[in-house]
Amino acid sequence: MSGNKAAIRGWTRTQSRLGRQAARPVVAFGLLSCLLGVGQAWCVASVLGHALVGLVSGAGANALALWPVFTFAVLAFIRALIMALSDTAAAKAGIDARRRLRGEVLASILTGGPALLRKTHSGELANIAVDRVEALDGFFARWVPASVLWYMAPILILLPVGFIQPYAALVLGLCGASVPFGQALFGIGAAMASRNQFLAMTRLQARFLDRVKGIATIVLAGRADDETQRLGQAADELRQRTMKVLRVAFLSSASIDCAMVIALVLIAIMDGRQAMALLSGGASPALTYTLTSGLFVLLVIPEFFAPLRGLALAYQDRAHAQGAATAILDLPEAQQRPSPEGARTVSASGIMISLEDVCFTWDPARGPALDHVSFTVPAGETLILAGPSGSGKSTIMELLLGFIQPDSGSVRLNGAPLESIVPDSLSRMVSWIGQRPVLFAGTLKDNILFARTDADEADLLAAVKAAAVDQFLPSLPDGLETRIGEGGFGLSGGQAQRIAIARAYLKNAPILLLDEPTAHLDPATEKSVFESLQRLALRRTVVLATHSAAVHMFNGRRVDLQAGHVAARQGAA
Amino acid sequence: MTPLDQTPPSPVIATSQVETGTPVLTDRQAIMRILGLWHKQVPRLLIGVMLALVALCLGLVLMQTSGLRLASSVLGEVVITTALLRWVGGGRVILRYAERLFTHDAMFRALADLRVWFFHSLAQGAAAGLGFRRAGDMLSRLVSDVGTLDGLYLRILVPFACACLTLPILVFQLGQQSILLAVLVGALFASSAFLVPYLIARSGRAEGERLGKSLAALRIGVLDLVGGLREIRAFGAEGRILSHVQADDASLLTGQMRLARRAAYANASAFLCGQAAIFLVLLAAAGAFSLHVSALAAVGSLFLTVASFESAAALTRAGLQAGAMGAAARRVVEVAAGGPSAAQVEAQTDAPTGTHIHLEGVKFRWSPQRPLVFDGLTLDIPAGARVAILGPSGVGKSSLAALLLKAAIPEAGSMTLGGEEISHIRADSLRRRIAWLSQATHLFDDTIRANLLLGRPDATEDDLWKALDDAAVADVVKNLPEGLDTWLGEGGIKLSGGQGRRIALARTLLTQAPILILDEPATGLDAQTEQDFLRTLNTVTEGRTVILIAHRLTGVESLDRIWRLSGGKAAAAAA
Repeated sequence: MSGNKAAIRGWTRTQSRLGRQAARPVVAFGLLSCLLGVGQAWCVASVLGHALVGLVSGAGANALALWPVFTFAVLAFIRALIMALSDTAAAKAGIDARRRLRGEVLASILTGGPALLRKTHSGELANIAVDRVEALDGFFARWVPASVLWYMAPILILLPVGFIQPYAALVLGLCGASVPFGQALFGIGAAMASRNQFLAMTRLQARFLDRVKGIATIVLAGRADDETQRLGQAADELRQRTMKVLRVAFLSSASIDCAMVIALVLIAIMDGRQAMALLSGGASPALTYTLTSGLFVLLVIPEFFAPLRGLALAYQDRAHAQGAATAILDLPEAQQRPSPEGARTVSASGIMISLEDVCFTWDPARGPALDHVSFTVPAGETLILAGPSGSGKSTIMELLLGFIQPDSGSVRLNGAPLESIVPDSLSRMVSWIGQRPVLFAGTLKDNILFARTDADEADLLAAVKAAAVDQFLPSLPDGLETRIGEGGFGLSGGQAQRIAIARAYLKNAPILLLDEPTAHLDPATEKSVFESLQRLALRRTVVLATHSAAVHMFNGRRVDLQAGHVAARQGAA
Repeated sequence: MTPLDQTPPSPVIATSQVETGTPVLTDRQAIMRILGLWHKQVPRLLIGVMLALVALCLGLVLMQTSGLRLASSVLGEVVITTALLRWVGGGRVILRYAERLFTHDAMFRALADLRVWFFHSLAQGAAAGLGFRRAGDMLSRLVSDVGTLDGLYLRILVPFACACLTLPILVFQLGQQSILLAVLVGALFASSAFLVPYLIARSGRAEGERLGKSLAALRIGVLDLVGGLREIRAFGAEGRILSHVQADDASLLTGQMRLARRAAYANASAFLCGQAAIFLVLLAAAGAFSLHVSALAAVGSLFLTVASFESAAALTRAGLQAGAMGAAARRVVEVAAGGPSAAQVEAQTDAPTGTHIHLEGVKFRWSPQRPLVFDGLTLDIPAGARVAILGPSGVGKSSLAALLLKAAIPEAGSMTLGGEEISHIRADSLRRRIAWLSQATHLFDDTIRANLLLGRPDATEDDLWKALDDAAVADVVKNLPEGLDTWLGEGGIKLSGGQGRRIALARTLLTQAPILILDEPATGLDAQTEQDFLRTLNTVTEGRTVILIAHRLTGVESLDRIWRLSGGKAAAAAA
């Protein structure tokens, strides 16, 4: 747990460093905007100061110069421009960071490959890549710049104030310095309060979503009214617990308010007193200066506290980053799949597959998945892998696909160890059809062309015909252009398997791996799918894993697996 | 990725079905509807706004008095006393704190009401059907929509009320000096607080909708990538798929950049309005043109103007969020308010004691746009029989369960339970007679005890243990440190798939319903666990009607009759 925390902290630190580089323009614009604000405050104070002195001296207001008023307007325009630039730069920092992180997450997922799906649900992985990364926008666009601006901008403001009114700068500085203390104090208090409530609050927060997801269960159990009532109670309890935390958390922003009010009131009183003392001497440059500088300091106070407030507002964005870090750190490190040394290719036709004394363990607690398994499939022949679920058939498939490497022993194609074959070359040699082919969002045609994007129309039509996809095309609204997959037209299990077969025809690879291709089909559909597969299997080296009774349609060698070892062999396997 | 073996209507289609089933609402109507739901909290919400207004007033007064305190020294007397400043300052801090606490509390109460209403409406309406069809993603999106609506009060209503109060104060105070100045500054304030937010809300709506679509496209692309990892690796398609997803990502991010740029311009224009107002006050102070204001009043006006426009800035942000909030409100109201049950006949009869089930010529489809699932389905299940209903995926096995439980209504045909039309039987009475267990049966993030009691609230400790024992999971529960009070799911222990199904089975057995519908109850279990589970079913369901819905049999089930579904009809198969 502590190692995990250290890792999260490390991740957050790295991201902050990267974020700060990207946030440089935002910080620069923020500081510039601050300076412009100071300039504007001086213009305003100067106009008002002179007007007030005019009141004392009885001189007409006409005597007042208009140049500070117009300077103010010019500065306002520049400042508006700078603010827009700063907002845009912040948005850009957030967008760039999300693009980078999403790329990293997707690369990690692709690196982890299918093995990742054994550990984590696919919905969860997609959630990390989309929503978790999206939630990090605030971290890069708001928190990172705010975490620099909160101290630089006040110091920048304090410099001219110190030059003009040292004692006012002292008051402002002290009030400003008290803010981080207040924040830390109440921030720790709030953290402690929320730690006490954490488990109860997480449960209550999750409750609504959980109950809505299970609403069918509740309704069908006839318990909707009870649950509605309990949901109300839970929401009320959540409110009370949340308020307990907020009561402390809001004190931290109250401490900023308080510091600002104290600064404002103290400076107003001090400058007022000084001006009164000077008034006895009538209108004098000293009086003008005191009034102007006093007004200037008062006007600058909101500017001084604004960055501090911004930091408090962005604080929750930091919490999002920690949540995302936990999820992202669980993913494997993204890396290029290593190209093995002395990588080689194997002649692309007539391939013999052999497993020699292969052992593999997914999870030591559950024992080996494969225990000294050996068999050979000569080029162009079919091997049937039989055995109940969990006997190691899928593990052999994943080994042959190169998704995993054996713990000991070797997998060889034409005598060459699988791991010595260039990955691209391997994927060109192998076609694979699983239990449920994945149909990507897109047209039916795109889904078949997925196997070979550069295939021409004739090849495509040949594959469609060979896989008997053309038999159900008329029932689809737009034929080959029908959109399938998420949000599209739903296909039956048998139809989807035919698309997978069409992909395999199009790819035309010498090795065909079939992993329980009919597990989810009814007997009639199973038979016709097997017939298509029989034609596809001609002149290819085939490994067919199945526990279907219809497997007698294939003739070839047969290996019976039982709990990870070979229980029986038929033919020369 | 489309898991093909699930019931075909995807969440996307489910939404459109709901949308077509109800009159289309505008965002404004939806928001009014939500506000209408908050009627119980009106006093609190109003007090919250009042507190915000008083805190705002004190904020305005504080800036103004501190400016005047200094400026009035030129009169040679203390117009603003130190005590007044202290009171205003202290009051400002305390009220601001009180306001934040109170408005948040009121908002949480309002949100609680909204959640209860949403849950209740879902339970009454479309939800049974939706949940039945595992539209879990859509439901979780709706839940986050409900969460989004907290901003409606805090970020839109409260700042809006404050701006509405600030405008007359500003105009009145300035009007005492110069009517022209008051009118000009008032107009600037109105455009900063109302016009700019309104414009950005309106122009942002289309872009917001486009962004929603881009995000959905990205989500689908990523789901395809994750779900299709095997295919991608087997076909060596990493590069292609990645560039596809990155194109979706790019179009989302480009859209967000456009919106951000627009927001930046809106912020800058709101800022310029405020600056223009200050500029006018300065001109007046300098006596330029015909705007003439006394120096002292100018100081007061200036500080007031600065503070007023600062409070208006919150509304530009509100305008940006208004579109998202309106869309969220619309989705929530549409789903909660609509649904097929509206057309349901008022059923008054209690379920009869007989448990003979007979279906005759049943026609059914999930929505008028979709093909018929059943076309003349005829089925007979005698009391106490153990039957299996088989068929390939997508043939409507789960729809049959939905029909029997009245989670869906047939278009034609008759369905009787013990000789009584199911459509005449009250749903709650019917559901006490028929218990349902499927892969979609939800185990709640709650204690094991609470999960079981859902089946029968008045069950005794012994009943619970007997049910667990029947489901062959009692030993597992006994070995847990907290026994029945162990928390499942988030923040608790995670049971294995088989153990989870067994807890769900124990809950179903606990119901004492004479008819059990077991809809692919063993999906997701490995072969050995599946067989053990089905053997358990053989022994513990003695004396009840059992309807086992599956795509294949494993051979260990003991059955009286097997029906095979195909082409919308059922055919008897060998037992």
